[in-house]
Amino acid sequence: MGASLQEIKRRISSTKKTEQITGAMQMVSTAKLSQIQRHTTSYQVYAKKIRSVITHLAKSHLLDGGASITPRTKEANENDDQIDGLSMLVKRPVKHTGIVVITSDRGLVGSYNSNVIKQTLELISGGNHSTEDVVIIAIGGTGADFFKKRGYKVPFEFRGVKDIPKFRETHQLVKKIIDMYDDETYDELFVCYNHFVNSLTSEFRAEPMLPISAMNVGNDDLTDDSEQEGFSAEYEMEPSEDAILEVVLPQYAASLIYGAILDAKTSEHGSSSTAMKSATDNAKDVISSLELQYNRARQSAITTEITEITGAQAALD
Amino acid sequence: MAEQDLLTVSVVTPDGSVYEGQTRLAVFKTTVGEIGILPNHIPLIASLEIDEVRVKVQGTDDKFDEIAVSGGFVEFSDNVATVVANSAEKKENIDKDRAAKARERAERRLEAAKQSNDINTTKRAEIALRRAVNRMNISGH
Repeated sequence: MGASLQEIKRRISSTKKTEQITGAMQMVSTAKLSQIQRHTTSYQVYAKKIRSVITHLAKSHLLDGGASITPRTKEANENDDQIDGLSMLVKRPVKHTGIVVITSDRGLVGSYNSNVIKQTLELISGGNHSTEDVVIIAIGGTGADFFKKRGYKVPFEFRGVKDIPKFRETHQLVKKIIDMYDDETYDELFVCYNHFVNSLTSEFRAEPMLPISAMNVGNDDLTDDSEQEGFSAEYEMEPSEDAILEVVLPQYAASLIYGAILDAKTSEHGSSSTAMKSATDNAKDVISSLELQYNRARQSAITTEITEITGAQAALD
Repeated sequence: MAEQDLLTVSVVTPDGSVYEGQTRLAVFKTTVGEIGILPNHIPLIASLEIDEVRVKVQGTDDKFDEIAVSGGFVEFSDNVATVVANSAEKKENIDKDRAAKARERAERRLEAAKQSNDINTTKRAEIALRRAVNRMNISGH
């Protein structure tokens, strides 16, 4: 019982303050989580629709035919502001691998960031990529700092994703990512992020995104069979299949990346809320053990005092 | 059989569904011209212009619900027309001030881009301008 009464008292009050803060942060995260989940539900309507159209197009073997489409020349690309749709179908020999790593900007989210970073490193070493062949696009400050420090190429980083990211806000970012694919900064693109399972669990995902192939269309868990069946009908294409693909593919790629950001953000709020909850619980534990210590110290002080008083009384008599 | 003669129009964007309704006629501006879709049309996929989608209000002859869309495409099958666009707004939800400001901004950017001969920025500004003008046109109906 080394600590003095004063000292224990101070520690109790400071732990109480911490508890209040983490408790408030937990509530904020939980509120954000439910907000973003609502938003995700409405996004999924859109994602499902665009995916089912793509799946339909894939079924009519358009995507396999993509290999025969020659990429447009560089000059043509430069004169073209629109995201070039058809080039997304072309498989190129892989010289550089692009990896979009989605982390959070701030800490206090438990193992969220370290999980993503660790698994991304595993992906890199598992794929036998050397540091030079990997191009990292960092969404979120933690990942950006980490990969830059390790000497990876980070040509583009984005900080300050909103708590509830809106499509319009992320559009520039998404466009940049696709532009870099067109410039051959990388020849294939993975997106690494934490998929939200529930507020206690999230699961790392590395999804191949570009080039779009019939393979990575439709193997997503959001596509269920019942939905695809509605698309057995033959469509009339207006103006032409190629023109439709030009419109649909960039929208599809954008929606995939946006979806990943949304999912990652959901998972971030989830981890944050869990981390804050356990911090609050820990603070409660600390406080109760400190209070016990405090009461013991107080009791022993009182006992000592009484002994002293009675001792003094006895001496007087 | 009356129910057979209706088609459902829904407009979805990444930020949620914008419009949902049943109608006898929906008019879309596609990249190759205007098409009207009546119930039981054959399945169709068409890319859209930055323009409006008009959905006839049930029980009227000349009243339309108007929705501003920024491109995207429409997919029609089984009497359901789904417009999938990056952004869309119902006429009554359009913020006129914001659209006007967006137009000014786009015009300024266009001017600056033209002077510096920056083709990319020019095109981008043109598209932004078209969106803003589209919104203003529709809200001003």
